[in-house]
Amino acid sequence: MILDLLIEGFESALLPCSFVVLVPGAAVVIASRQESTPAFIGFFIGLIALSFWRFSGRGADLPTTIVALLLAAAVVLVAIPLVRRLNIVTGAGGLLVGAAAGALWVPCVAIQFADLLNGLPERTPVVGVALLVVYVVGVIAPLFALAAALYLIPNPTLILARPVMLVVGCGTLAIIALATAAGFSDEIIGRLVELSVI
Amino acid sequence: MNRLQYVAVIVGILAVGGLVAVNLGDNNTSEAAAPTVTADPAPAPEDQPTTTAPAPTTAPPETAPLANAPEFLGEAGTLTNLDGWLQTDNTEFSDFDGTVRVVQFWTFSCINCKNTLDNLRGLYQEYEPQGLNVIGVHAPEFAFEEDPAAVAQAAIDQQVLWPIALDTNKTNFRTWQTERRFWPRTYVLDREGNIRFDRIGEGAYDELNATVAFLIENPGA
Repeated sequence: MILDLLIEGFESALLPCSFVVLVPGAAVVIASRQESTPAFIGFFIGLIALSFWRFSGRGADLPTTIVALLLAAAVVLVAIPLVRRLNIVTGAGGLLVGAAAGALWVPCVAIQFADLLNGLPERTPVVGVALLVVYVVGVIAPLFALAAALYLIPNPTLILARPVMLVVGCGTLAIIALATAAGFSDEIIGRLVELSVI
Repeated sequence: MNRLQYVAVIVGILAVGGLVAVNLGDNNTSEAAAPTVTADPAPAPEDQPTTTAPAPTTAPPETAPLANAPEFLGEAGTLTNLDGWLQTDNTEFSDFDGTVRVVQFWTFSCINCKNTLDNLRGLYQEYEPQGLNVIGVHAPEFAFEEDPAAVAQAAIDQQVLWPIALDTNKTNFRTWQTERRFWPRTYVLDREGNIRFDRIGEGAYDELNATVAFLIENPGA
């Protein structure tokens, strides 16, 4: 079951239902290249925490205003290393983005993940979180690939590209925050989904 | 390359290789993302012609009824504030009262909803003559799925043969799924309107089919 769940996560990574997770995740990875490990860990923890909270029925969906505020705060935290390099701050930024993604995520529900979801309220939190981690690792595989690809860029090039990456990453997060605050996030995701399925 | 870069290369290769391998070996995934969205202007739901999908080729499911009566999972709600119905002359959910019903919340671009249709079609074909009603409650996830003409076209393309309730503003999607809201969500209701099966997402087809078979064959259960 574990391997099937991981493979199903891999499959979902290429479907439109994962855009909500992958787009902000990619923005964090790109923006925080020099601190990508704490940012990535923070993103992962935030994503798992909010997803488990919602999917297990332990909490309701967050209001979009709160999600937008999380993203806005994350933009500031992820941008701070431009001035001063602080892993803990970048990690916190990643955590907020992950939490926002987990709050907005409407996942694909194929057989293995459906089995997990249907049993989630009855499982112990430890087992439930562990299984969710397996699935999410598959879903965010493209982010692992992106992070790995960024490590391959030679340092001199990366230092030159750093401001651009920060602007692209934080800019994307800021756009998502604004779109969420204005109630357009569903419309944007819907448009992306429509384009991807036609 | 330093040690970190070696690790990055390995992780990258594993991630990309995993994605490629999984998708090369899975035809369903590539097939998944192909709904047809009509570009025709949307007529009002009441003006919609009753759409009949072409004859499907799905074989009826091999169904073994449950040994014991399925558990009572609560009383089902009704369907209110709908935007209309497709593929039926009925206009109220109560028109289906007194029958065994499969109620599925779906939306037409949802891959997991589409993946459940083969089994549902087989179930419908096998048990509709014996009184089963299948009701697809179309609750659009995105704006482009709200157009009733697009829903009607998708019903033809995806061979959705049963009545469709248009829950365009998702009122019923939210009231039936109070805490955890997903597409698809499939319920089986007995003749008294009690929920006897509840499934988020794909799968559990044997249990679904057996529940329907049991309720059809045991009217008092």
